[in-house]
Amino acid sequence: MMRDERIRRLPVAMSALVALTLGILPLPNALAPFRPDFLVLVVLYWSIESPRAGGLTLAFFAGLALDVIQGVVLGQHALALTLMAAWATNLRLRIRVFSPVSQSLTIFAFLTGYQFILFWIDGATGNPVTSFGRWLAPVIGALIWPFMVRALSRLHEH
Amino acid sequence: MVAFRSSESSGRSTGLLLRCVLFSLLALGLMIIDKRYDHLGKIRRVLSIVAYPAQVAVASPFQGWAWLRESLTTREALRADKTKLEDELRVAQFRLQRYEALEAESRRLRALRDSTNGVGSRFIIGDIMDVDLDAFRERVLVDKGARDGVYVGQAVLDAGGVFGQVARVDQLTSEVILISDAAHAIPVQDNRNGLRTVAVGTGDLSRLKLPYISTAADIVKGDLLVTSGLGGGFPAGYPVGTVVEVKRDPAQSLADVAVSPAAALDRSRELLFVWLTPATPTLAATSLSTSSSSSATAVAPTGAATAPAAAAKPTAVAKPSAAAKPTAAAKPSAAAKPSAAAKSSDTAAKSTDTAAAPTATAPTTADQATGDGKP
Repeated sequence: MMRDERIRRLPVAMSALVALTLGILPLPNALAPFRPDFLVLVVLYWSIESPRAGGLTLAFFAGLALDVIQGVVLGQHALALTLMAAWATNLRLRIRVFSPVSQSLTIFAFLTGYQFILFWIDGATGNPVTSFGRWLAPVIGALIWPFMVRALSRLHEH
Repeated sequence: MVAFRSSESSGRSTGLLLRCVLFSLLALGLMIIDKRYDHLGKIRRVLSIVAYPAQVAVASPFQGWAWLRESLTTREALRADKTKLEDELRVAQFRLQRYEALEAESRRLRALRDSTNGVGSRFIIGDIMDVDLDAFRERVLVDKGARDGVYVGQAVLDAGGVFGQVARVDQLTSEVILISDAAHAIPVQDNRNGLRTVAVGTGDLSRLKLPYISTAADIVKGDLLVTSGLGGGFPAGYPVGTVVEVKRDPAQSLADVAVSPAAALDRSRELLFVWLTPATPTLAATSLSTSSSSSATAVAPTGAATAPAAAAKPTAVAKPSAAAKPTAAAKPSAAAKPSAAAKSSDTAAKSTDTAAAPTATAPTTADQATGDGKP
């Protein structure tokens, strides 16, 4: 039983680490707004596919890592990720049987909700981001979701 | 929250809801503690040490590539580089001859005038790490941190001019907020006529703006803006940018002025962290009013309209302190300053590194000045 849990957790931790790295990889300034929230996508994937492996604990600590790296108020990404992961976990049985297009649309809703919570906290803590660029990430994220699922499910199977 | 009812088993659903509420409350609590009180600085610092390997791992391939390219350059390229650098050095040294005399004169005059406008005294060089922090905020991560004595609010320069200031200090790294960040403002002065104002970032690396310039103000395209040193966060007299566009709409009371930053905000690799030396130990309040009111009388009357605060203060208030101080007394204190300032900046580093204040006016030097002046 213990061993079983462990085997399931390794790919989760690995994918989260890779996503975190992709998130801080330097991009040219023109491309930076097009970077999807890799870590959010990974957390959503594990919330839908195998909530017991990662679940809300993964979401909370992944969010905390983002807070520390980006230097924003501690707990901002953690709150947004926790709420979205809980929502995704709750709807996972339905999402699993969705067609790829409606799956992407659902992910788009999650990502937008995530950005909205960030946006709201940014405003509440007094350093709002004025650019519209941040609303681009959910679109890109929803577009790459099918590829993400393919890559992660291969990792999951192994 | 309605959605939570539709899970497969009610037991797991309540478990999920419970954990969701628990983690959310935890996150909210963290936010409130972090925002309201500064107790989380230590936790954040420890967490950032955990994040450091990831940041180094991301940055190292780029550094490796730069190193590889550097080590594979040809002899000819190196020679050309060397000749160019020698030429530059000659010109720089030629300028420096004049500059040293000017600096000495400036120190004397500042001492006479009782000004607290700091002069950059000690520098360390930091390298920008190749890590993207946030696509929508103009910030960079630099490989110098609390270990090197860097403090929040410290001025950061590059070869061209003012780059930004330190917004957050971790043990090994620090985060520098660029002058082009939309949340950043820096007190500046027109080098041509002494007009003082505030340059605010736009979120665009190649643009700053001057939002508080009246349409009647004397500012034209090509004017060089330098730091005014007011507020004490930045050393005075370093280039901030040049005015590239002035739009005056007669119907508006404020002009639309665009500034191109002097520092290479998008290309710099090495940054200078500056420690300030206040010119003379003196009471901050009186000396501040001296400096601002005397320069307000010196500049054209347009300056008074846009100058923030203090300009209304009469010159008479400031005079006694300036007059009472004989030149002879001011000189040795100025000479004795550097070591004391180095110490006080270190203590300032300790006391302010938990305070997150990426605003233009860092209170550190003003506090220092009052502390020095009291005895």
